[in-house]
Amino acid sequence: MMRRALATLLLLLLWAAPAGAQEDVVAVADLLADPASFAAPAVSSITVVGELVGDYGGRDGHVWTQINDDAYAAAPLLAGGSLAGGNVGIGVRIPDGLFSIARSDTPGGYRHRGPIVRITGAWRHHDPDRGGESYLDAETMELVAHEQPLDEGLRPIPLIVGVVLGAGGVALWIDDRRRARFR
Amino acid sequence: MLVRPSSDDLRTIAFSLGTIFHIAGVAGVVPLLWAAFGREWAPLSSFALMIGVFLIGGSLLQRHPPASKTLEWSHGMVVVAVTWITVPLIGSIPLAMSGHFGDLLDAYFDAMSGLTTTGLSLLQDLDHLAPSLNFWRHLLHFLGGQGIIIAALSLFAGGAGLTLYYGEARDEKILPSVTSTARFIWGVALVHLVFGVAALALTAWLGLGFTPGRSLFHGLMIFFAGFDTGGFAPQSTSLGYYHSALFEAVTAVLMVAGAMSFGLHFALWRAPGRRRRGEPARRSTLWSLETRSIVATFGITLVLTFIGLAALGIHDSVLGMARQGVFHVLSAHTGTGFATIGSAELATWGGLAFGGMAIAMALGGMASSTAGGVKALRVGLTVRTVRDQMREVLLPERALMSRSYRQGGRRRELTPKVSQAVMTVSLLYVALFLLGAGVGLAYGYPLEAALFESVSAGANVGLSVGLTDPSMPVLLQVVYLLQMWLGRLEFAAAFVLVGFLWAWWRGR
Repeated sequence: MMRRALATLLLLLLWAAPAGAQEDVVAVADLLADPASFAAPAVSSITVVGELVGDYGGRDGHVWTQINDDAYAAAPLLAGGSLAGGNVGIGVRIPDGLFSIARSDTPGGYRHRGPIVRITGAWRHHDPDRGGESYLDAETMELVAHEQPLDEGLRPIPLIVGVVLGAGGVALWIDDRRRARFR
Repeated sequence: MLVRPSSDDLRTIAFSLGTIFHIAGVAGVVPLLWAAFGREWAPLSSFALMIGVFLIGGSLLQRHPPASKTLEWSHGMVVVAVTWITVPLIGSIPLAMSGHFGDLLDAYFDAMSGLTTTGLSLLQDLDHLAPSLNFWRHLLHFLGGQGIIIAALSLFAGGAGLTLYYGEARDEKILPSVTSTARFIWGVALVHLVFGVAALALTAWLGLGFTPGRSLFHGLMIFFAGFDTGGFAPQSTSLGYYHSALFEAVTAVLMVAGAMSFGLHFALWRAPGRRRRGEPARRSTLWSLETRSIVATFGITLVLTFIGLAALGIHDSVLGMARQGVFHVLSAHTGTGFATIGSAELATWGGLAFGGMAIAMALGGMASSTAGGVKALRVGLTVRTVRDQMREVLLPERALMSRSYRQGGRRRELTPKVSQAVMTVSLLYVALFLLGAGVGLAYGYPLEAALFESVSAGANVGLSVGLTDPSMPVLLQVVYLLQMWLGRLEFAAAFVLVGFLWAWWRGR
């Protein structure tokens, strides 16, 4: 119950904050459906709000990571969220200086909802300077919510059943070998 | 008259299946330990349950051993066919309990896709999946690609394992005995494992700036999926996650190694020794009909894809087009299924780009490799047969014609029986691809998308244009499951299983 309330609160945070910038936010699903129409330089910048997941790969004065704006960013499964299809994310390149506000937060993964950030930047679609890769080249970044540790406890019943079955299997196997020796 | 299988036949099959269950159970200890070290308690519970089911199942199957330990041809084929149905069934327990699948069928689909080294997935929220579960999915690629049956052979089967070996669609015995061949295959895999994981992990650590622990994790996952031409990836954006040409290049080397026949691996491994002994290199072994066939079809499909991409005008730079074109055609032709672009964008690759990719997927890698598809040797033999037929028509009636081909360092005769077998399997693959495409069409999907996804499932590739989705129709899901199974077994073992069940039901 508490988890659901937290998830709802986060959803509200995502959609309520900076009303001015809200209008420019692009859904990653829309971006992926028609990536060319958002591409720089024709479109100077776009804004994406979502969860940083995976790894923070530091190279060449930038941090490379992935931003997801799917349902799991707002309501992680381990916080009571429902299944809502596959992840929806894009690669993002963030200058080291900008990234400092989120560096201490663990990226999203198992038992972690990563930091929620609002990133504005140029959508480099098949960037010729990077061998045709597509990514969001961040120009500004704002931390909307810090990482959220999640919990998943032990399930005693499957564990006990598994141990009993396994022990039974090993005992039968040993008994079979013993009987085979006497045959 | 149909002869009903005797109780000893059933005991023989059950006993072998029990051995394979025990091996699968022992393999499950690795992700269990991973979960324990990572303090991933919920996955640990589910791995314990899976191991328990494998062990008790294996022991119960072996409870009444057969009077004769001889594994006949039909026994082996049935064991293989049943293995590839039941191991993913039990192997899907941790996946089903993870909460990342809509229902049990979705979890079974993922486990079947993993074991058959296909790579299509219905897992939801991959980016938050427990590492131990991610490891298990990738380990399924390794177990399926290298063959849990091969493991059984190398440990237990001895001379009786020949039928299991062939049943798993491996048609080339490299060394005199099947056991030594199986051990060689696992030896090759383990050496590649060490060097492959090291190369990928170092690239991720030094080149991409990942932490050492995460670099090792990514290296291991991508190795399993790349070398076993599987296609699962630890993150939802597949290989596009890494944004690195170097990482893609290292992965491409592993994909090629995975799609090479173990006979070719053997020849390459022995080449330095031959050179040291002053013996001439066996060019004919390396440059066989199969090698020439795969090089030719890779070149043709690459050119088709390049022309298609150029016509679509997606890329501003030739370098970008070349990088994406080569990687994706290689991924399709080796049957791996990695992508650096999303399925929505791949779906826009129409025209020749679509044609090039679909043909590359359908043709697949080499025989006796971890790749799926029709296979390069069959493609080469089909072309050779057609060429010979044309020559026969054009030459004088009394002219004598040599019909042979070079494979495995030897010249072999291309007999009508060989040609017929090759053509039959090739036609069965075409029928398999059309089956999935037909069902996809019936559900209202566009022809190109339905055909692409069907070929991807039947040839055990794993590239997707978006049809494989948790909301997909159940019947289509079942058809893809069947395609993955049949494609991996190359039909023979599946047909023997059907015949066996028929004989059991109708026989006397």
